Amino acid sequence: MIEFESVTKRFPGGGVGVEDVSLTIPTGKITVFVGPSGCGKTTSLRMINRMLEPSSGRILHDGQDVAKLDKAKLRRGMGYVIQQVGLLPHRTIVDNVCTVPFLLGRSKARARADAVALLERVGLDPVIAKRYPAQLSGGQQQRVGVARALAADPPVMLMDEPFSAVDPIVRESLQDEFLRLQHDLGKTIVFVTHDVDEAVKLGDQVAVFGGGGRLVQVDAPEDLLGRPRNAFVASLIGRDRGYRRLSFVPARDLPSHDVVTVSTDATTREVHETSERTGKSWVLSVDSDGRPVSWLDGRGDGDDLGRVPVGNTFTDDDSCRAALDGALASPAGLAVHVDADGRVVGGVGHDEIARYVTSLRSAEGGTAEDAGQDAAVEADA
Amino acid sequence: MDEGEGGALMSGLLSFLFTAQNWALTPDGVPARLGEHLLYTAITLVIAFVIAFPVGLLIGHTGRGAFLAINIGNAGRALPTLGLLTLLVLLMALGILPVIIALVILAIPPIMTNTYAGIRSVEPDIVDAARGMGMTELQVLFQAELPAALPVIVGGLRTATLQVVSTATVAAYVALGGLGRFLIDGQDQQDYPQMFAGAVLVALLAILLDVVFVGLRYVAAPGGLAARRKTPTRRAASAS
Repeated sequence: MIEFESVTKRFPGGGVGVEDVSLTIPTGKITVFVGPSGCGKTTSLRMINRMLEPSSGRILHDGQDVAKLDKAKLRRGMGYVIQQVGLLPHRTIVDNVCTVPFLLGRSKARARADAVALLERVGLDPVIAKRYPAQLSGGQQQRVGVARALAADPPVMLMDEPFSAVDPIVRESLQDEFLRLQHDLGKTIVFVTHDVDEAVKLGDQVAVFGGGGRLVQVDAPEDLLGRPRNAFVASLIGRDRGYRRLSFVPARDLPSHDVVTVSTDATTREVHETSERTGKSWVLSVDSDGRPVSWLDGRGDGDDLGRVPVGNTFTDDDSCRAALDGALASPAGLAVHVDADGRVVGGVGHDEIARYVTSLRSAEGGTAEDAGQDAAVEADA
Repeated sequence: MDEGEGGALMSGLLSFLFTAQNWALTPDGVPARLGEHLLYTAITLVIAFVIAFPVGLLIGHTGRGAFLAINIGNAGRALPTLGLLTLLVLLMALGILPVIIALVILAIPPIMTNTYAGIRSVEPDIVDAARGMGMTELQVLFQAELPAALPVIVGGLRTATLQVVSTATVAAYVALGGLGRFLIDGQDQQDYPQMFAGAVLVALLAILLDVVFVGLRYVAAPGGLAARRKTPTRRAASAS
């Protein structure tokens, strides 16, 4: 556990500071610092491993004041990942990964063997071990940066915008693998980003920093989206917050019902008959294993029958966001519910998803109370 | 004479260079003068390096005293070595010491400024990451900054070497040896081919040493840095 106790940082020339931040970073969880540039989030991160010293207040790591610990020793126990990676250009990838084990005086052969295994673990081909940083793409370098931070198996990881410099597709895969890795490793992670989507996706706890280096709100992501503490947080989260919040509502209990299906072998006439008999204008074609293939227009002409491929399906493990996206993308207005093997279980309409979410909110007894609390906080701010 | 003055000089040069006696292993033969010249150069460079390199490292790593370094560098470049040597000889009497001191003062600025500039030019992210990993300040300097700065530092040594090799001719001016002897003696004896030969030998030596440094620079930039020169580093959007 890492605790900030009334930490303030002022720079002699002005600059980005931190103003009276108190915060608990729980062990084994991801805490994300998010906010606009110049809000003090990076400064706060850098005070944890003493790259910066607070002007006042204390930071405790497992109850110990970090200011009383040896800097180098403290840092070797905390993985450190930065946006520009900063690999040593004259060392091979494997030796870069071994930086901290070498500093700790571990056996070189052993450390290198572990490093190669770690490269695989972060999704890199071990053949790059002998290459130099300049020969790698930005995304690959970033993975090496993560592997390097993990090499000495530190309990804490400090990550300063580690995925911000790579393109969105690479970023998403890095995030997914990062979550998978964290699921196995259970590190105490402090993660800085300016990207609210990233914060909400990765964080177990999100700390929102505002102007003047003040901490505005610390909450679980779904609570942050559901109950932004003031107008600043609400505007930071942006206009999709209601939609984003659906990411935290499991799709498991959606009122999924039967959908009209035909075999992929069905003739145009069979499709027309099925549509007429059931009164549905779109029917779902499924292959011999029961997996969805495409939506067919029950009144369509010719061979293709207005065929629309089934894009996003959802499983019990997905969120209502995935289900709603599937429903909106479907010409029938239905999200296709599949089991773990991808076989059609049923379908649910976008109107039904909306009704389901509304019912959850009223079950929480939330709506009225929420509004009252929001107003109170707004007045407070 | 049918030949022009230049032609005479050229044939004189060739006859000097192809006269076996001039290459004899006597104290005033070319090999001995070459040896003396290289010795002055080597002594100068070692002393200059021992002084300038640590100072350059310190200034580069801490970022303090850069103003001093730049001004010493500029002042050193502006000092005329021959004038300085004359002054030193007047103060200290003849001998090798004033020569070496004058040459060391010439060699310090390029070594110091390049060491300083090389260390400063290492990408801040590399240094930040190295420190954040838990390197001590000395480890940051020797494991991160110095290796990355090595090509620039070797460049400074190269400049210093070329300047010292060509300026070491002044040793002869104060009655010492070296290739400068041919220049001074040639002038005294109005033996212009000998003078010309001395100048050509100094130039050839300088070129030879430069070639050595080109090789050294390549060695100083192992794999990673060489690769970086071939493929430009990916520079992503800068930090917020």
